[in-house]
Amino acid sequence: MATQAHSLSYAGCNFLRQRLVLSTLSGRPVKIRKIRARDDNPGLRDFEASFIRLLDKITNGSRIEINQTGTTLYYQPGLLYGGSVEHDCSVLRSIGYYLESLLCLAPFMKHPLRIVLRGVTNDQVDPSVDVLRATALPLLKQFGIDGESFELKIVRRGMPPGGGGEVFFSCPVRKVLKPIQLTDPGKIKRIRGMAYSVRVSPQMANRIVDSARSILNKFIPDIYIYTDHMKGVNSGKSPGFGLSLVAETTNGTFLSAELASNPQGQGTAVLPEDLGRNCARLLLEEIYRGGCVDSTNQSLALLLMTLGQQDVSKVLLGPLSPYTIEFLRHLKSFFQIMFKIETRPCGEELKGGDKVLMTCVGIGFSNLSKTLK
Amino acid sequence: KAVGEGGKRALLQNNGLSDGLNLEKSLTMKKATLTTSDSGHCTAEEAFVSEDESEESSSLTTEEEDSENEEVTRKKFPKSAQVVSGQKLGSENLTDEISDVEDLLKEEEDYKEENNYSMETSGALKWKEDLSRKAAEAFLRQQQATPNLRKLIYGTVTEDNE
Repeated sequence: MATQAHSLSYAGCNFLRQRLVLSTLSGRPVKIRKIRARDDNPGLRDFEASFIRLLDKITNGSRIEINQTGTTLYYQPGLLYGGSVEHDCSVLRSIGYYLESLLCLAPFMKHPLRIVLRGVTNDQVDPSVDVLRATALPLLKQFGIDGESFELKIVRRGMPPGGGGEVFFSCPVRKVLKPIQLTDPGKIKRIRGMAYSVRVSPQMANRIVDSARSILNKFIPDIYIYTDHMKGVNSGKSPGFGLSLVAETTNGTFLSAELASNPQGQGTAVLPEDLGRNCARLLLEEIYRGGCVDSTNQSLALLLMTLGQQDVSKVLLGPLSPYTIEFLRHLKSFFQIMFKIETRPCGEELKGGDKVLMTCVGIGFSNLSKTLK
Repeated sequence: KAVGEGGKRALLQNNGLSDGLNLEKSLTMKKATLTTSDSGHCTAEEAFVSEDESEESSSLTTEEEDSENEEVTRKKFPKSAQVVSGQKLGSENLTDEISDVEDLLKEEEDYKEENNYSMETSGALKWKEDLSRKAAEAFLRQQQATPNLRKLIYGTVTEDNE
């Protein structure tokens, strides 16, 4: 960026993605020191290096400096360029790890982003592509990011450790974002789910569905869990199965939960019945937490509120996740935005856990990269 | 003959009516409106009964003399009157019972309502005491009970700024 803002300095490997994403959006260079400096295997991991390469692909004119051991990173962001990109993600983390950051950056590209990501689509750590498609996309639509070209498609499914999945993501660009007023989550209207199985018996998915329904049927009749059994080249390189559940409320809020089987050769075998039941319980926990935004997407919502027009945005969240709390601190240091945070204890109106009402005025971020047509 | 009989019948009926009225009056002095309406009903029935009977008797004793006919009707009439009065008595008792129950119910309802009213008023009065003070206390309690998330997230520096 032309304006040479003074760089921010951090220490440690935590929240690397947050720092790099916010640096890219704000145009402020960032210097991160002591990345696993005391570790036996110091420096950046493969998946972090892959993430930095991805940032390099979607931006133009970024300067990235990494020292010999990989313990210090200097990142001077360029312009978000977008366009058609392909990227092979590290199999150590799932595509969700990369996609979460792309969802933050994609609306502010010069050219609409069309990206093919290859790697692991579902793992036990990161939000899976299924969940992001079911929860993050409707959230972006609330901010006015919508259109025919807005899609996230799973072409191939890949489970750890082998990977071999493929995802296509395309996102239109917007000059400005709409402010949001999400203060009433509404009531749970329906539950949808996706039970997937690759390179195992297709019956696994049916067993997951039966056990998940055994818990959820007590609460709501409108439940449909799709089974997805991909075969041949579309099934990736490793066997596995899992379930993602999404509860939709009457006001268009999506709350999600997911579980995946242990990767081949790691840990004990998981029974599909146990997995289905536990995932259903996780969904109930998520519904108890409640709020207008799923706990995996809290930080995405807060970021888009910050970058909105100079207007008041309000969102009711469930209990803030540690990741979101750190994200709020980062938002303050990169954008000088502090949220008004009001706790709403559960009462007659709000059920479940304590809620937090987040209010902020957008900084009026407009997409400078976008060409006017 | 027929005309004479009819006239006599009318007379008899009148007698019966007056008798019934008298009986009723003696029995039920308290509830005037109800009983009078009742009596009217009963007399109509009575009239019907007497007519039927008289007709029957006349049809049976068409060739008999008027006096005999009269006697028969006179004999019959007291019976019917008695029967009717008996019915009246029964109905009278029934109505009495019902009205008593109704009175009881009414009394109970009145009592309850009064009770509720008094309780409500006392509760409202208690509730309305020191509203502003209670609100202030609730506010302070709320402030102390809920953690200051802003302070927790952004640190103490921001607290000084505020």
